[in-house]
Amino acid sequence: MKEVTQRFGGLIALTDFSIAVDDHTLVGLIGPNGAGKTTVFNLASGFYHATEGQIIFNGQTYDKSLEPYQVTTMGMARTFQNIRLWNDMTVLDNICVSQYHRLGYGLIDAWLCNERYSREEKRVRQKAAKILEIMELGDVANEFPKNLPYGLQRRVELARALSTDPKLLLLDEPAAGLNSSDVDGLIKHIRWIFDEFKIAIWMIEHQMKVVMSLCQHITVVEFGKTIAKGTPQEIQSNPDVIKAYLGDENV
Amino acid sequence: MDYLLQQTLNALQWGSFYALIALGYTLVYGVLRLINFAHGDIFMVGAYISFFVATYLLSSDGLGLSPQNTLWLTIVLTMVLTALVGVTLERIAYRPLRRKGAHRLYVVITALMCGLILENGNLALLGATKRKLPELIDKTVYSIGPLVITNLKVWVIVAAVLVFLFLQIMVTRTKVGMAMRAVSWDRFALPLMGIPLDSVIVVTFVLGSGIAGLGGMLFAMCYPNLEPYMGAMIGWKAFIAAVVGGIGDIRGAFVGGFLLAFVEIMVVAFLPSTYMDLFSFTILLLILWVRPTGIFGMPQTTKI
Amino acid sequence: MLPLFVQTVLVILGVLCIGYAIKRVIKQKKIDCLVFLLGGLVLIFAEYFAWIDGYWLSVIKFMGLNIIFATSLNLVNGYMGEFSCGHAGFMCVGAYVGGLISIILFTKNKMLGAPLLPPELAPLLFPFVLAVAGGVAALFGLLVALPSFKTRDDYLAIITIAANYIIISLIINIDFVGGPRGLTGMRGVVRAMEGVADIPWMMIWTLLGVMVTTMMLYRLVNSTLGKGIPAVCQNEVAAEIMSVNTKKVKLVAFMVSAGIAGVAGALYAHMFSSIYANSFGIMKSTEAMVMVYLGGMGSLSGSVLAAIMFTLLIELLRFALPAMSDLAHMLPFVPNSFNISQEWKWVIIPLILILLMQFRPEGLLGNRELTDAFPKLKRLISFGKRP
Repeated sequence: MKEVTQRFGGLIALTDFSIAVDDHTLVGLIGPNGAGKTTVFNLASGFYHATEGQIIFNGQTYDKSLEPYQVTTMGMARTFQNIRLWNDMTVLDNICVSQYHRLGYGLIDAWLCNERYSREEKRVRQKAAKILEIMELGDVANEFPKNLPYGLQRRVELARALSTDPKLLLLDEPAAGLNSSDVDGLIKHIRWIFDEFKIAIWMIEHQMKVVMSLCQHITVVEFGKTIAKGTPQEIQSNPDVIKAYLGDENV
Repeated sequence: MDYLLQQTLNALQWGSFYALIALGYTLVYGVLRLINFAHGDIFMVGAYISFFVATYLLSSDGLGLSPQNTLWLTIVLTMVLTALVGVTLERIAYRPLRRKGAHRLYVVITALMCGLILENGNLALLGATKRKLPELIDKTVYSIGPLVITNLKVWVIVAAVLVFLFLQIMVTRTKVGMAMRAVSWDRFALPLMGIPLDSVIVVTFVLGSGIAGLGGMLFAMCYPNLEPYMGAMIGWKAFIAAVVGGIGDIRGAFVGGFLLAFVEIMVVAFLPSTYMDLFSFTILLLILWVRPTGIFGMPQTTKI
Repeated sequence: MLPLFVQTVLVILGVLCIGYAIKRVIKQKKIDCLVFLLGGLVLIFAEYFAWIDGYWLSVIKFMGLNIIFATSLNLVNGYMGEFSCGHAGFMCVGAYVGGLISIILFTKNKMLGAPLLPPELAPLLFPFVLAVAGGVAALFGLLVALPSFKTRDDYLAIITIAANYIIISLIINIDFVGGPRGLTGMRGVVRAMEGVADIPWMMIWTLLGVMVTTMMLYRLVNSTLGKGIPAVCQNEVAAEIMSVNTKKVKLVAFMVSAGIAGVAGALYAHMFSSIYANSFGIMKSTEAMVMVYLGGMGSLSGSVLAAIMFTLLIELLRFALPAMSDLAHMLPFVPNSFNISQEWKWVIIPLILILLMQFRPEGLLGNRELTDAFPKLKRLISFGKRP
């Protein structure tokens, strides 16, 4: 993203925000609530169109006509702050449907139940099974997400994002609401995905444990403006950051 | 030019009916976020109630009153009884669903079905013979230059304006009105603030249905032949008017009613009359496409 | 009549087709297909040999139509959770298009005079007539789907009701197809078909129609492609992010739904000698909604069951209402002029839907299928392949 300014009516959500996420890096975006972090993600995934500035992904610049699903097809996947799973479909179906852009058959094929259809369906299901196995979700494949505990739901959401074959994975507060053992599991899973799939991961997170242990590079925003950039160590000792999070007195 | 002016006067009268019914739609939608599809049929019920009341009061078997007294008594009784019908509808059909926290879809279907039951029930109970409202006032015709208008039409327009002013004052200046506006913003917080939700809703239905009843009676006075399906089409037009103006906003309903009537009258002036309904529905679709919130409405966004 | 030789060839072909179908079905152990085939054959023979009274045969055909009509609406109202209240409009389009085309092609008609094609081709080309009728209806579905992108539930209801009304009033204004007097002449098409072979064609077409459309819908909703539809329903934002082209999914769903309703309409047109646009108004759409919500949104077998039940209910009312009327007259306070006329049917149908909404909004089967309620049936029913 280059110098993106985002305005909603009279409200300026982001001012001159720039960031570059390279291949196979783990980047973090932190900041107090209301700083504009989710706005950045929404811009990146194509839900909002930037009022000013440029967004480029994979060599392609975003234009006004870009739809979010096209962004995903280009290779960017995303999870959400509130869990947005399809609650009345099984976990397996959730993972299968998110491979939609890779379904190699059309409506007529589905009606005729021909070779291509069977082949593609089988491939999709096998891939889904594999991802479920990787994420240790094999047991719950036929459950409905609404019946699963919160930690498992978060994991399903991660698995679902993974099944879209992303090159860049956006994680919006993946550890929100998790207890400490789940958080450790999450860190383990993210690191595993990072190493195994060699994708870039960009995450918004409040829990410092996750951010510090995983991110190679962190950007800090406050009120829509970038106030610091650097490695975890640099950020931890940066006075502006401390002031933003904890207030003046504690510096 | 005279022709246009005359048509404008007709549009004012026609629009008054639309406005009266549209106000009812808007009130209920503003408070409950429910499109009360049965509202047009409540208008029809009002017209029929006025017929029965007027016939009874006038006839010698009944009370044998003079037309002048009958008029005022009928107006009052029609509004009260129609309001009663509206409240009963709310109590039987909508409230239980609200209690259960049912999906809005179910309530809308119920509203649609209630409307159909009112129409078909009327047809089934009373048969297909058309009823005619007895004459209640002496018609005098005024001529302003080349334009012609009857006193009845003037009364209709005056009634619509008065009702609008009354509602506007009520919603913006009184406590009840404030409660109604509060409900439209956040239904669940209301009881927490000590305001009984059910009462506010009942008041809304009383107002909306009463006004529709008045509209029904006025319509019956202008066009005395009543039939069970008269509410359906007018209800739809009034609804279109409310949407065009921005459903949920009283000014929108009022303005929308006259706007739609104006368009319709102009269409009929230049095209065959069978195209009138088609035009109105097409306008509806266009508005919903281009600016779904209407003229006065407020767009709502979802947080991603 | 065709020469005897051609007739014999056709009969042999027909028997071979049926035999092949039966063999394939038995080999793949699809018991339900077998049951359907045999049941269908029984019905066809029943009509041919007049084992059952003609009235009940037409009820059965009507049941078939209702099944097609209800299942098509379920795709949009049930699986996609939208609120389409004008489904009869698509049926109307299909009826008029189908009727018009077959009249012009196969019979002497008021519009173009002599038939354009030899009437003997009627049975061969009839499936194409149905397909074209469905196609045109699907186009209308497209027109209705476009506004649905920007609107929420209640507004879609309005749009669809408006569309239903617009379609009807447009057709009434077209004198070419009979205007308010309706479209007539389809009986001639059926006679042309019977001229080729004197078998109950409409029963055959209805059965084939039910089989094909149900199969199409079943395969669609069980494929991952089709599962995009409930995904869009349950969480549209998530669907967008998970690479589902929500606009395309909505369009396809609307078009398929409208198209299949159009096929039902075309079949309807040929079952009756004349059709009137006015009979496809909001009451007909309401019937479809009753069937869908009775069976359960999102349940294909539910819609089938509900369609059957609903058709039977209507027939029941036909007898029950006069009986109730007689019963009512036995009560002392009922005046002699009061009659429970057939009009009450149109009060009872909306009432059913209201009661459903109040007490069991999920209908008979909710969003599960019959095979979920009776798992043993799963072994028998495997309509269409599941990978």
